[in-house]
Amino acid sequence: MTTRYSQAQERVSEYSQLSAWSTARRADRWRVLYGAAVAVLVLVSYALGALHWLPRDPEAMDLQAMLLGPIEQGYLLGTDFMGRDILTRLILGIQAYFLPGLLSIAIALTLGALLGVLAGYRGGRAEMGVTYLSNLVDSMPRLVLMLLVIAAFKPGIYTIMAVVGLTTAPTVATLVKGKVLMLKARNFIESAVALGVPPRAIVFRHILWYNCRTLLLIQATLGMAEAVLIETSLSYLGFGVQEPTPSWGNMVQAGANYLLQGNLWVSSAPALAILATVLGFHLLGDGLNNMFEGGQRR
Amino acid sequence: MEPMDSPLLEVRNLSKHFSQRGGLFAALARERGTGVIPAVDDVSFDLHANETLGLVGESGCGKTTTGKAILKLMPVTAGRIRYAGRDITVLSQEEFRPLRREIQMIFQDLDAALNPKMRIESVLREAVLLCEPTLASGALQARIYELLELVNLKKNKLSSFPSELSGGEKRRIGIARALAMRPRLIVADEPTSALDVSIQAQVINLLRDLQSQLGLSYLFISHDLQLVELVSHRVAVMYLGRIVEMGPAERVAHAPRHPYTAVLWSSLVEKMSREGAASSVAPSAWGVFDFERPTEGCRFAPRCPVYAARGRPAQCTDASQAPRLAAADGGAHVVACHFPLPAQAGPG
Amino acid sequence: MSSQPILRIEDLRTYFHSRVKQAFVRSVDGVDLEVAQGETLGVVGESGSGKSVTMLSAMGLVSAQPGIVTGRVVFDDGTPRELLEGLGRHVALERRDGRIMGVEKDERGWRAQAERNLTGVRGRRIAMIFQNPKAAMNPFETIGRQIAETVRLHTGVKTAHEARERAIHWLGEVRIDSPRLRYDNHPHGLSGGMCQRAMIAMALAAEPRLLIADEPTTGLDATIQARIVDLLAELRERLGMTMVLISHDIGVIVRLSDRVAVMYGGRVMESGPAAEVLTEGGGGHPYTQALLASIPQERNLREKGRLPAIEGEVLDTINVPRGCRFRERCQRIHDSVRARCEEHEPELAEVSPGRRVRCWLYQA
Repeated sequence: MTTRYSQAQERVSEYSQLSAWSTARRADRWRVLYGAAVAVLVLVSYALGALHWLPRDPEAMDLQAMLLGPIEQGYLLGTDFMGRDILTRLILGIQAYFLPGLLSIAIALTLGALLGVLAGYRGGRAEMGVTYLSNLVDSMPRLVLMLLVIAAFKPGIYTIMAVVGLTTAPTVATLVKGKVLMLKARNFIESAVALGVPPRAIVFRHILWYNCRTLLLIQATLGMAEAVLIETSLSYLGFGVQEPTPSWGNMVQAGANYLLQGNLWVSSAPALAILATVLGFHLLGDGLNNMFEGGQRR
Repeated sequence: MEPMDSPLLEVRNLSKHFSQRGGLFAALARERGTGVIPAVDDVSFDLHANETLGLVGESGCGKTTTGKAILKLMPVTAGRIRYAGRDITVLSQEEFRPLRREIQMIFQDLDAALNPKMRIESVLREAVLLCEPTLASGALQARIYELLELVNLKKNKLSSFPSELSGGEKRRIGIARALAMRPRLIVADEPTSALDVSIQAQVINLLRDLQSQLGLSYLFISHDLQLVELVSHRVAVMYLGRIVEMGPAERVAHAPRHPYTAVLWSSLVEKMSREGAASSVAPSAWGVFDFERPTEGCRFAPRCPVYAARGRPAQCTDASQAPRLAAADGGAHVVACHFPLPAQAGPG
Repeated sequence: MSSQPILRIEDLRTYFHSRVKQAFVRSVDGVDLEVAQGETLGVVGESGSGKSVTMLSAMGLVSAQPGIVTGRVVFDDGTPRELLEGLGRHVALERRDGRIMGVEKDERGWRAQAERNLTGVRGRRIAMIFQNPKAAMNPFETIGRQIAETVRLHTGVKTAHEARERAIHWLGEVRIDSPRLRYDNHPHGLSGGMCQRAMIAMALAAEPRLLIADEPTTGLDATIQARIVDLLAELRERLGMTMVLISHDIGVIVRLSDRVAVMYGGRVMESGPAAEVLTEGGGGHPYTQALLASIPQERNLREKGRLPAIEGEVLDTINVPRGCRFRERCQRIHDSVRARCEEHEPELAEVSPGRRVRCWLYQA
């Protein structure tokens, strides 16, 4: 197996610190590109939905044009069993999980980072507490917990996402703690102390910003994927958003009745949307992880 | 404004003990019965303004620990450290932080002293702003350029990451960072280690220039006695946590009174001479014993050629008669030994 | 004594490819060295000089990928052997202006060929010792057994008992106290100096014709360094060992070497008898002279003067300049040679019998 090595230029410039992107594997670049495309699409769609700049009225029922497939009669993604435009409803469905997802991410990252730094920097009982909490949360299946909470308290989607955030925080904390422990062994924290940098700046700037931000970004992408799954699962089961407001979950549920009739599209369209989106966020996180956190040894 | 002759830094009976379970030091622990490693044991010295005190010793002698203790990077087990007349051992970390400005350190480890994700510009900016938080952006830039010039680095290094710099450059950024705080005292921990020979000379010259330019005091920690003698006014020799000899640099290096200092010096010279062992201290006396088992009394006894030559006098291993630093004619030169080497005519 | 040098290196080049910088690191850029029977050759240089990589390349210890090695390395202990033979078949080089700008390399073929060339030589006829002895030894085996293993592998000794006796013998040769007891020590139970002695014993146990010592004293305490240097000197005399000693510590080189080669930026700048080359004012290469002047020694200690430091940074072997490698830091450039220094790299020319210098100041 022959490999080719060649010198790019006669004189190599002094700044040869190439970015993580240019030294990334091709597979990782594709992951990040796809994931980023999904993320942008979601963001744009959310904005469209929030501003109500939709192609059609989501509740307008065109009884003449029911159960159409894609690109039939001018409906880009077809219509459902009530003649409603699927594309519009898909776009609107993002409303159901986007902001709540952001809430869960915000809670998970903030709480997780703080706990992680506390545990890593101080050690001792703080560390023990975080580990204990982490194990406790990990041993519970997330969805079952959600259902129990719903059954008990019947909360809104925001409350549910807040709980999701709380239960994700220990995972983030453990990761941050690990990073902090790794960093503590390197003297630059000691030298920052020697310089007289106040402890708050050491934690927030040196540790979190410079060294943990990629970690946190990756956790954010995973968090969003999680939020999509949870919201759509709940609304599929009938616990979340109710008709006629569209949510990808309840769209799948409603369309399920028509599967046996051979109308696959009504259920498949939202299901594919879920798949593509969750996959996108996961791949984004994965690609970023490989690019930035893949054991930095030059 | 303290009087001219009062020292800038006073260290009195400094001790730092580490507790250790098992491992290489189990032997010591068992002997002492307390499971404790006295890495720094009852160390005392003064450092005056504009003076360089060299701290010499081999690995494990406690010199780095002493340096870090002075900077309160680790808690002290016993003793007092006074800076500019003020007792800093009793201060909390918060109370001490404003004083950190004046006492800075150049770290031995080139890589770990700099945050690998920060560009050099950010590193220096942080340091300058810490010292002078109200600096406007124009003055801030000027100060950063000034620091680069002080350490002879080109401006184009500002946008680099530490990983792009050579060893000498990283060391110089470490120095610049310390200087940004406008310190009065710098603890230089092995400032020439891990550097190429040709770069070492550059760094040494730089440190000396900075001392005369800025009126700095240095605690110069190194294992190289020749180097220390070159840059220091006074030298203290450490062995296994204790200072065994201290005095003016030329005297300690060329007319040592403690057998360990003599051995240290002769091994440097011997390494170089083609004639080999022509030293005054018999090398065969301590053959291959190089795994230290610290003993009661004088810690150097097991390796001491004088101890062997005198037929192993009981005085040296008697716990109650541990040798203490005492003046060996000429008050400034002190040595901790029961049988110090005879005085020689010092260098001219 | 044979008149053929026991090791001859001709135009050795070792280039590594850096993916980050998309360029070749020219670690060894055309090195010629010779070691005669029974002599000790000291190789001096700073970081980036290529002194270690030269020997590692000759021993086939440079990892096959992505390094390329060209040149000739002839090891002659009675039967001449070319250690880099056949490797050329697995690479296709693209040269421009005498410099290699591209390589096509068949990794597996290369590695297989290198192994073929060095079996029976590495470890047996040529032994190497390295810096950081604890890392070089197996932490799970006692030092005695590791030495005994070397004995069994590389000498005619058959029985376990005899191997053990030989191992103990060698431990004694390197002046380790109580060799019989130390036989059962693990590397982590020994101090740095002891470990280094054990590694020397392991190297010698194979009864090699040539010993290559790569920074054997670096990292050890000052007092221990002196002892190891004493040991090497003693072994040299008693066993008549041929040795290549690589170090950045000029003191060690001076004490042990007969001849010395000074390397900078991947090439040999000067070679000749150690006493001549490593004396200040000995009229040699500007780099050697400047290096000697910048080391804290008696002379500048007494005057407490400034150390005459060499300005600038050590050569970055990715960006090798035209002309002489050292010219950017050379203090002895003057107008009559400047043009040549900037355009053409000088050859290693003989200035007196046995002494060669790569500098325009000494060549017409």
